[in-house]
Amino acid sequence: MKSIIIGQYIPGKGLFYRLDPRTKIIAVLLIMISVFLLETIEQLLIGLATAIVLLLIGKISILKVIKGLKPIMILLIFTFIFQIILNREGETIVSQQMYFTGYTLLLLILAFIVWRILNKLVKYRFTLFFLFAAGVFLILSYVDFGPKIAEPFTFNIYRAGLEMSFFVVVRLLIIITLSTVLTLTTKPTDLTQGLEKLMHPMKKIGFDSESFALIISISLRYIPTIFDEANKIMLAQASRGADFSEGKLKDKLRQVISLLVPMFIIAFMRSEELANAMESRNFVPGEKRTRINELYFSHRDIIATIFSFLILALAIVLKVM
Amino acid sequence: MGIRFNEVSYGYSSFAQGLYTAIKDINLEITEKNEFIALVGHTGSGKSTLAKHMNALIFPTSGTLEIFGHTITNKRNKKIKYNDIRKKVGLVFQFPEYQLFEETVEKDIMFGPMNFKITKEEAKKLAKQSLNLVGLDDSYLSRNPYNLSGGEKKRVSIAGILAMDPDILVLDEPTSGLDPAGKRILMDLFKNINETTGKTIVIITHDMDLVYQYFNRVLVMNDGHLVFDGKTEVLFQKEDLTDYHLDYPNTIKVLKYLNQELNLNMNVFQKTNAEALAEIKRAVRL
Repeated sequence: MKSIIIGQYIPGKGLFYRLDPRTKIIAVLLIMISVFLLETIEQLLIGLATAIVLLLIGKISILKVIKGLKPIMILLIFTFIFQIILNREGETIVSQQMYFTGYTLLLLILAFIVWRILNKLVKYRFTLFFLFAAGVFLILSYVDFGPKIAEPFTFNIYRAGLEMSFFVVVRLLIIITLSTVLTLTTKPTDLTQGLEKLMHPMKKIGFDSESFALIISISLRYIPTIFDEANKIMLAQASRGADFSEGKLKDKLRQVISLLVPMFIIAFMRSEELANAMESRNFVPGEKRTRINELYFSHRDIIATIFSFLILALAIVLKVM
Repeated sequence: MGIRFNEVSYGYSSFAQGLYTAIKDINLEITEKNEFIALVGHTGSGKSTLAKHMNALIFPTSGTLEIFGHTITNKRNKKIKYNDIRKKVGLVFQFPEYQLFEETVEKDIMFGPMNFKITKEEAKKLAKQSLNLVGLDDSYLSRNPYNLSGGEKKRVSIAGILAMDPDILVLDEPTSGLDPAGKRILMDLFKNINETTGKTIVIITHDMDLVYQYFNRVLVMNDGHLVFDGKTEVLFQKEDLTDYHLDYPNTIKVLKYLNQELNLNMNVFQKTNAEALAEIKRAVRL
């Protein structure tokens, strides 16, 4: 869990750390909207370049962001593959006759086994997965002898499909990078305070932005605590012989219960303690509160806002033309 | 053979701060019979991390660990049945809330033994025995563990481990949160188990009076290092325990103070109040 960078704040000093959270939220929103307005790959690539430049300006290590993208990689790959297979517009670029025979099946099983074994030994699992996928493709296209199991079919890649898949992946990449920059450089408390201030006007229609912000900040604050508690409970039950890796299904069910019950009870205890602590420090819901750090706009925030508005304007102009 | 640490270090890693080494280069041997050991040290010195190694709940980052003939390294070994180790070395955590989950005390205590393939009837018998052992009567068997007082919960959680009949018992601060009388009852209980069954017992504690009175061997942790391993008497004869972030037992402190203020020459190393009183009487009469 610790390797997931999305949603984590890492202390640092850069341009983005000094911006007002409201500015950052608005800017990220505007740039995201602009990204959705873009229509050609060239424009999107420029967008990606802009995102990278923003990372460089903010002195955020690109390596860290890429590492953080790892869990999303699977999602990206799936979108890519589905777009390629399902989109059937435009001219065909690749057209490959595919066969499925007895030998194919045999070779596929062999390839799978080799892949699983190598997976345990080799470090570069992603590269290995690609090699495996390429191997499957080669087997399907060139092993045309042996007893037929299914009718041969043609595998086509269409121009629009390739473009679309590339397009969607780059768009996702930009959006994820932007939101990572936002959460990476903004403390959760600042983020919720910014949200609260931004949603303040909605009070007129009966939306209580302060409670909403409080709920978000408390939930964010308690994610690591709850993880910690869960870990401790797991160790405590493991030392009573609850082995979570082996055993019958019935035993496993009992062991899961032995985790869940203390978890809920500790969560309830924690929430009651927190409520008492807040009350003893005179927290009254709905009262007007003062902050230690008031948010304020500086010239940097104005420049950043103008910059993001410019990007949006540019995107609209491109869209209209 | 019991537990042997060979140059064991353990580091907690976190994304923001990098690696934090909790224990460093620990060399230690605990035999499986007749030892009664106190593990002391300031908060954050690595006591609990050390204790978690003792039944292979966590694996050393470097170095090796031998527990009843199984060698534990930094990787999970498929050939080792870790559950066997946990049956042999019972670890009781500091807060009972982390392990109580059943609707009755009896069922909760039975959870441990049942995990080690024991029949229900036997487990029931064990539950009753171990509950009586920690000083609670049979009326507790049918009660809900969450409706007990803090001290009672603690005893039930200890009974839960005792019912597994481990060879070595490791307890993380079993006396914290108990009243003074409760502390003594529990310590007498552990001493009694140790003497009658010969099980080795390791107890983490902050109470120097208890350490001085009950234990013959003491381990001192300081900033992740094992800085002292030896007889209790030797530890408290040291001149300056503040280096270890420790304090002297009350009897030693009081007698030292009297020596200093009244210019007496008493032997300050008295374990109990009665012994201290006898020493004072002797000194005053002279």
